[in-house]
Amino acid sequence: MRIALLLIISLIFWALPQQLFAADKSSRPSSGGTVVKDDFDAAFDDDFADEFGENPSAEDAPLISDPLEGWNRGMFWVNDKLYFYALKPVAKGFRLVPRPARKSISNFFSNLATPVRAANALLQMKFRDTGTELGRFLVNSTIGWGGLFDPAGYSLGWKKKSEDFGQTLGHYGVKSGWYLFLPLLGPSSIRDGVGMVADQFLDPTRYVKMKEWEYYSLKILEPINRLSLDPDTYEGVKRDALDPYLFIRAAYAQHRLANIDK
Amino acid sequence: MKRLFVLFTLLLFMSSSVLWASVGPSQKIEQIVNSVLKVLNRADLDYAAKRKEVSGLVQSHINIHSLSQRTLGIHWKKATPEQRERFSQLFVQILEMTYLNRIEDYSGGRVDYLNERVKDDKAIIDTQFVSDKLEIPVQYKMIQEQGDWQIYDVVIENVSLVRNYRSSYGQIVSDEGFEGLFARIETKLAEQAAATEKL
Repeated sequence: MRIALLLIISLIFWALPQQLFAADKSSRPSSGGTVVKDDFDAAFDDDFADEFGENPSAEDAPLISDPLEGWNRGMFWVNDKLYFYALKPVAKGFRLVPRPARKSISNFFSNLATPVRAANALLQMKFRDTGTELGRFLVNSTIGWGGLFDPAGYSLGWKKKSEDFGQTLGHYGVKSGWYLFLPLLGPSSIRDGVGMVADQFLDPTRYVKMKEWEYYSLKILEPINRLSLDPDTYEGVKRDALDPYLFIRAAYAQHRLANIDK
Repeated sequence: MKRLFVLFTLLLFMSSSVLWASVGPSQKIEQIVNSVLKVLNRADLDYAAKRKEVSGLVQSHINIHSLSQRTLGIHWKKATPEQRERFSQLFVQILEMTYLNRIEDYSGGRVDYLNERVKDDKAIIDTQFVSDKLEIPVQYKMIQEQGDWQIYDVVIENVSLVRNYRSSYGQIVSDEGFEGLFARIETKLAEQAAATEKL
């Protein structure tokens, strides 16, 4: 309940710092036009060493194995229906809330998830990233009105790091395992599903005393808010791809691989 | 006199092709992106008109052969010349459809050019699309053909388009054969053409 109250009170004040930071953002120098040139670096060959060269000699390994395709496609269908008949209408209504306020809600949730990112960065011995996350938490929780704004990101340039326990496992060589499409949660894998469960323990809202319905409202608010900020991605893929299921599976696998490598 | 004229035209021709060749890969990307953004930022055009204007702006800068080959991967080898040709033709239409559909989502933003790496006939250009809503890293992979830099893959937020298409199309070809893939692409294109008609 406290959190809900804090949210409402802080929302009333969103206008002031928003204006402050908006002014700040526009004065940020653009790096457009300046191109750093280096003829060669170590990452370069890696980027070109795609196994799908001009003459592949064998069937390339699938990005992720999917023996549960039947179940996964079923869940994909369920999520698709949930999206169009439940989430989307609600998110559409939610768009009546001014965009900056929704952005703040998103920042707020993101700030609450700091323990997950910081702990996993630490577990991977990425000390610099751990520091960035902790610094972000300090700055955004105070100057950023309890996490509603992200001055650490756009004033100090401390960008959020994407870390979770699935990535930590991947970092230490655990393979993704089977692809797993989860109801409500979407694309995942055995490894990343386990990671999600583990990360739950670092979610501070678990330890705040509130009624059950308050907890679940809070949990459902996040995806709805996120959807209201980004209404195009899923529908774009669904419209354009020959088989959206396959497209999303490949994108998920690539995205996770890249995040683990970082 | 005639000889001098021939020499002169030859020189002119050579210098212009040298000029063309001197357009580096990141400059090339900048040119393409700017030409597209110029259309997108025009307030006097509606969505349908913008689609028409942008259509074709990008296509000539894509290396269709390289892209199709990489997209089909192992299946490219098994394909007959006719199937390769057919696939290339259909795939180009799918790509165009996809990026034309994205125009609707665009609501302002700029592109920062971050890094250019060139090795022999290949180049990787790192850019970032920045708007008030989001920042998306976009990487272009290019190949040089007859002095001209052409795009053969786009990597958006670390997701390679070629790799994504390859994974999806590969499974479709394995399950349903080339004819199955072609039929699906044709259905999709017809569906989209009907939707565009309504605009």
